[in-house]
Parts: sequence; structure tokens; C-alpha cells
Amino acid sequence: MRTALKTITRRTVVSAVGAICLGAMGSTSAFALDQVSVRLPWLAQAQFAGFYVAKAKGFYESEGLEVTVNPGGPNINGETLVASGADDFAIVGTVDALLAGREKGLPLVAVAMLLQQNPMALVAHEDSGIRTPADFKGKTVSTFFTGAQNLVYAMIENAGLAQEDVKVVPQAVSMAPFLDRQVDVASVTVYNELNVLKAQGLEGIVVINPADYGVNVPSDAIVATEKTIAERPAVVQGFINGSIRGWQYALAHPDEAVEIVMNEASGLEAPHQRAMLDAYGKLMTAGEGTTSGLGVLDMAGVERARDILLSRGVVKPDVDLDDAVNAGFWKAVPSEFTKPQ
Amino acid sequence: MIARASYPLLGLLIIAAIWEGSIRFFDIPPFVLPPLGQIAERIWTGRSEMIAGLSATLYEAGTGYVIGVAIGLLLAIAVSLSSLAERSVMPLFIAINSVPIVAYVPVSFVAFGLGAASKIAMVALTVGFTVFLSAVQGLKSVDPSAVNLLRSFGAGQMRIIWMFSLPAAMPIIVSGLRVSIVRAMIVAIVAEMLGAYDGLGRIIYEATQQVDFLRTWAAIAVASLASLVIYGVFVWCDRRLVWWK
Amino acid sequence: MKPSVWLPPLLVTALFLVCWEIFGHLPMGRVKVVPPVSAIAMDIIHNHQLLLRAMLHTLTEAMVGFAAGAAFGFLMGVLFAEVRILERMFFPVFIISQTIPVVAFGALVVIWFGNGMLSKVVIAFYLTFFPVTVHTHRGLLSVEQQRIDLLRSFAASRWTLFWRLRLPFALPTIMTSLILGSSLSLVGAIVGEWFGDTKGLGIMLVQAMYVENMVRLWSIIVACGVIGVGLYAVLRFVQTRWIWWGNET
Repeated sequence: MRTALKTITRRTVVSAVGAICLGAMGSTSAFALDQVSVRLPWLAQAQFAGFYVAKAKGFYESEGLEVTVNPGGPNINGETLVASGADDFAIVGTVDALLAGREKGLPLVAVAMLLQQNPMALVAHEDSGIRTPADFKGKTVSTFFTGAQNLVYAMIENAGLAQEDVKVVPQAVSMAPFLDRQVDVASVTVYNELNVLKAQGLEGIVVINPADYGVNVPSDAIVATEKTIAERPAVVQGFINGSIRGWQYALAHPDEAVEIVMNEASGLEAPHQRAMLDAYGKLMTAGEGTTSGLGVLDMAGVERARDILLSRGVVKPDVDLDDAVNAGFWKAVPSEFTKPQ
Repeated sequence: MIARASYPLLGLLIIAAIWEGSIRFFDIPPFVLPPLGQIAERIWTGRSEMIAGLSATLYEAGTGYVIGVAIGLLLAIAVSLSSLAERSVMPLFIAINSVPIVAYVPVSFVAFGLGAASKIAMVALTVGFTVFLSAVQGLKSVDPSAVNLLRSFGAGQMRIIWMFSLPAAMPIIVSGLRVSIVRAMIVAIVAEMLGAYDGLGRIIYEATQQVDFLRTWAAIAVASLASLVIYGVFVWCDRRLVWWK
Repeated sequence: MKPSVWLPPLLVTALFLVCWEIFGHLPMGRVKVVPPVSAIAMDIIHNHQLLLRAMLHTLTEAMVGFAAGAAFGFLMGVLFAEVRILERMFFPVFIISQTIPVVAFGALVVIWFGNGMLSKVVIAFYLTFFPVTVHTHRGLLSVEQQRIDLLRSFAASRWTLFWRLRLPFALPTIMTSLILGSSLSLVGAIVGEWFGDTKGLGIMLVQAMYVENMVRLWSIIVACGVIGVGLYAVLRFVQTRWIWWGNET
């Protein structure tokens, strides 16, 4: 509890100092703002446009929040930082990470789900003759061993192949092994690597989407701790309201959103960021994202993800989805924020 | 001998005490800093994975180390043969060396792939430069009047280097070799964290991303203990043999 | 300076760049690992403001970490040289600390040192202090016993021994370790930025890697090299200007 106490003290001091400064500048509403932070799973880029837009457009402020957006990196994960109290919210990439984290004692709860479809797809060279997962037999498939491998195995299984029929190898940032044909099939996220391939002028590739082969799971959950949810529900609600509204605005005004993101980080290229935002938006508005609304916590989707993990033995059978997911906050988001414009 | 070996153990004990103490004092949850007992247990239950990872990392670090030492020493000898050569290439070498090694890692991936070759190249680069710079410094510090004396007796340049300069430069070269051991391991692991098929660095990265904190710490502990043991063996051999004196 | 001093390195460097340029134009598969120098130069010119800002950011982190690491490293080196029992107890701890891949510490670094500059400085510090301690310690202890005995015979105090004999004797070695430490502090700052940041060379590096922008990667390598050479030049200048009595160890 000592860490928690320390965090609270530090936060109180920070907000007190902040309040004094703002007060000196003549702002009155600043006194009411709650300080919270959100940890992204990667560096600042258009993949997280909604959060930066919500901050820039004052959507968080109108919910009574002062939000700090903390970028991630290759060697930190938001799950640990939220569980330890260093950050209040995080974007967790996969349902596996959420469930695995809970199983290991991290008190994390998903309160919204940004992507209604998994962003991972597989690519093959057209001249290889590979068109569907059934063609993977005897081939080498590379994928990210940070959760995506479970989806690849599920696709292989759905195609009626045994795990040994396909050689699955880890993949890192570079697409070079695929381009040099060291692997037959590679994984891409549709908002980054696929665009990189397109930008490099690569033609003649087949995109194999897991959702077309019975592997359709949601992704990119917003998580908070059980404690935050119990003790500061208004803050959680405010953060979700502001974030969803930010995303709605970002998708409706992509150029402005990209500009806002570019101001937050140095060294980004606008065309790539715009393509990223477009691809990300497509996944957000897929299926339930349009029918129910942006950020919906589609329980059926979460259950599908759990079933894949169960069959792969990644989570224990007694994993409790009701503890891992709290759909109540999303349901309370004003519907004018959740409808894609 | 026993007394000497006991001091590193004492060091380990101090670290263990700080570790366990801060868990209790700061009330750190296990997913941030797990107790040492749990890490040890995780190493044991995951021993086949840890051994496989360790051998991959050791192979990369070891091969890179040997290549780096060979290239570094040969270059240093070549450069010390002529002061013109030294003046000509040193600025370029220093510029290449002053780029942090991590900056080369992405390029190495594209050039050599994600397998062992890219890590071996990175380790060889780091070790090579460390050894090169210390060997150049060592060869320079040789007493010039002694070299002149040998030359006046008709000794050839290669012979002087081999029989006299190199042995005299050994203390500095050996300290370069020693520093390189730990760095070779770290460079291999960091490169693996950014992209690899195998090795402890890959375990660390994947486990971190999948919130498997005990696995992360187990791999870190194995990496750290392994470098410590290799370092210890090197120092022991160095003290024991002193073959260059 | 005479042309014989600066001409050879200039020629070699020029030759190196020309070979690079030619190599860069060779057809080398889809992803060009080594783009031509001219392409890199163009990217640097186009993005010089961006690169300069990132360089300043990273350099600041590295320098603060370096200063702290050098000071701490020096003090520990002196302490270990003067109080042998401390050396026996804690020197192994220092060695162990260097075998731990600090990049893997992710969450701990953020939780303890926050998201600001401090966490980057801490990493730079962590990498810097060790070589300084080792070299200081070795330099101070490598004074020949005869010289110590001579000074002692003049009833020199421990302080005089340190100040008049040991320290001047160790300074060249210490300078060498500072040169080593300066490049390590740069590594620390770059890696430290991976713990969540939005600017700096480390961030640009990961970004360029993420989108496989090879030209940008090389621009960043050049920027790192410029900082590295700059630090080296400054320390070398200090070394030749003020510690002229050369390296005796």
C-alpha cells in the first residue's frame, strides 16, 4: 500500500502545484480537473490518434480530466504499469495479455474495446500459389510471438491441418525475411506493415484475413485496475467518454487528427500516418463497431478469443470473463459519441 | 582461494538482500519485482527453455567475441606497423565506433536477417572495436628505445611485434578482453530483444509482452549469472596463468 | 596544421564515402540495406531541424547521466582504492550490476524514475559509472611501491600521497575511462528513451525501424556518430591539453 500512498501523495502535490499555476493564470475550472494517465502499447503514432485528439480538443477537460498520454516502447508493457499504479489506464493489445495478466494476479479489467477485428493479417507472394490457410501445409509462416501466434495456430487448425504441418517461426519488425522469400507467409498489422509493403511498391501479394477463416477476435482493450473502477468510477467514465469522443472526431477529421499526432511526436511521415489511421478506423467500425457503436465491448467477441486461448491451453479453464470485462461504462457513454460519423 | 571466491558470493548476498528488502520496504507487488525464490523456481521449471535460450545467446556472444578479438587484434597490429596508416584510419574508426551499437542493430537485421548472424555481427563489432582500441593503446605504450635497440640488432618489424611489443601490450589488451566479455553478452541479448528466433533476449521480450513476469525475470537472472560465471572464469584464468608475463 | 597531418585521414574518409556511394547504387534486392551516401545526405538536409532537436534532447540526457556517472564512478573508485574492505565487499556487486541487461527492467525504471528525463538519465548513469570506477581504482593502485615509500619517508600524509602522487598518476587512465563512459552514456540515453518518450534519437530509431525507413536509419546513425565524435574530440582535447603527462599504466 505504500506505493499507492506515495502515488497519491505525489499526485496530490502535482495537482496542487498545477492548480496553483493555472489559478495564477486566471483559470477557474482547472481546480476541478482530475489528473490521470494512459499508457499506450507503442510510440506515439496515428494508431492512438483518438487519445491525442481528445486531449487537444478538450474532450477530456470537459469530462473534468487532465489526461497525460504516455507512449510505450519495445521494452515496457502497459499491463504492469497500470497494475502497479504508475498509470491509470492502458491500451492492451490482445485479449490473451489481459487474461494472462489476470491469471498472474494483475487486477486488470477491460472497460472498452477499440478494435472489433484483430489487426493481424497474413501475407503471401501471389506466385507462391498460397491463397488460403489450407495452402500453408509444408510452408514456413512467420508471426509475432506476442499473442498473434495463437490466432495463426487457430487458423491452421480451422483449415484442417495439424500444428506440425506448418513451420511457424517468430517474426520481428522487419519484413525483409518475407521479401527475401526466407518465409512463405508473414504476418502484418493492417495499419502498419501492410502499408509499409504498399509504400515500398510491392505488388503481387495475397492478404489472408483471419476473420475470413473463422478467427475473428476483438483487440486493443482499454483497461483499468479493479481498484480504480471501484474507487473512482466517475474518472473511468469520464476517460471512456472523452476517448470515444476523441476517436469519433479523429475518424471524421482524419487530416486534422494526423496533424495533432504529428505535433506530439517527431519524425513521423504524414502519408504513412494517414494510411495508419484509415486502416485502424476500418477495424474500429467493423461489425459491432458500427451497429452498436465505437469502442463497444462485444462479449461474444471476447468469448471467441477466450475459446481460442482455451483450446491452445494458454489460459486455464476457470478463467472468469465477468471479472476481466466490465461493459457497464461503455453502455453509459452518450450515444452521440459512439456513432461513427 | 576460498576467501577470494567468497567475496563475489557476498556480493550476490548483498544484492539479494537489497532485492528482498525493497520488495518488503516499498511493498512492491510481484508483477513488478518478484521474490527471488519464485524466480529460482521458474528457472527450474522452465530449465529446458532457459538452457536452449542460453546456449543460443552464448553461441552468438561467443562466436562474435572470437571474430571480434581476431579482427581487432589484426587491425591493431596492421595499424601499428605504420604511423601513416594509423593517422589515416583512426578518425574514421573512431567515428564508426562512437555510434552507439544499438543504432546499428536495425540495419544488421535487414542485412543479416533475424537469425544468429545479425547478433554475431553486432557482438563482433562491439568486441572488435574495444579490443582494437585497447590493443592500439597497448602497442603504443611500448618503450620505443627498446624497440630501437631490437631493430639495431637486425630484428624484423613483425618479429619485434610478435616477440616484444605484443607481450608488453598484453596487460592493456587483456583488460580490453575482460571488459568485452560482459558487453558481448549484453549486446547479444539487446539485439535479440529487438528481433530473434532464439535466445534469452527473445524470451525476455516475448515474456514481457505476454505479462509473464516470472519468465522475464528468470531469463534475466540466467543471463546475468551466466555472464558472471564466464567473467569469473576469465579473471581466474588471467590471475592463474598470467601466460603473457 | 601541416597537410601531412590532415590529408591522409581526409583521403581515406573520402575514399570510404565514394566506395559507399557506389555500393549504395548497386542493385541489392528489395530493401536497400546501404543506401547511397547522397540519399542519406539529402534526408539529413531535409530533416536537419528534426534531427538537431532530437540530438539536443538525447545529448542532454546523456550529458547529465554522464556527469552523475563520472562523479559517482570516480568517488567509488577512490573509495575502493583507499578502503580495501569496501572493495572486497562491493566491487563484486558492481560487476554483477553490469551483467544485468538494464533494458529489460522496463516497468521498474518507469515506476521508480517516472516518464520524464530522469529515467533516461538513470540509464545513462548506470552504464557510465562502472568503467570510471574500474579505471580510477586501477589507476590509483598502479603507482609503484618505491615512489610511495619515497614519499612516506618524507612523512607524507595519506592525503598528500593521494593528492600529490596517486591522483596525478591515475588521471590519464581516468581520462581513458571518461572517453569510454561518454559513448556508453549515449547508449544509455538512446535505450532509455525506449521506456516511453516522444522525441530523441532513440525514439526516431525505433520509429524508422518500425516503418523500415533505411535512409532515415542511416541519418540517425550519422547523427549519433556526430555526437559521439564531438564528445570524443572534447575529451581528447582536455586530455592532451591538461593531462599531458601521458598514460603510464
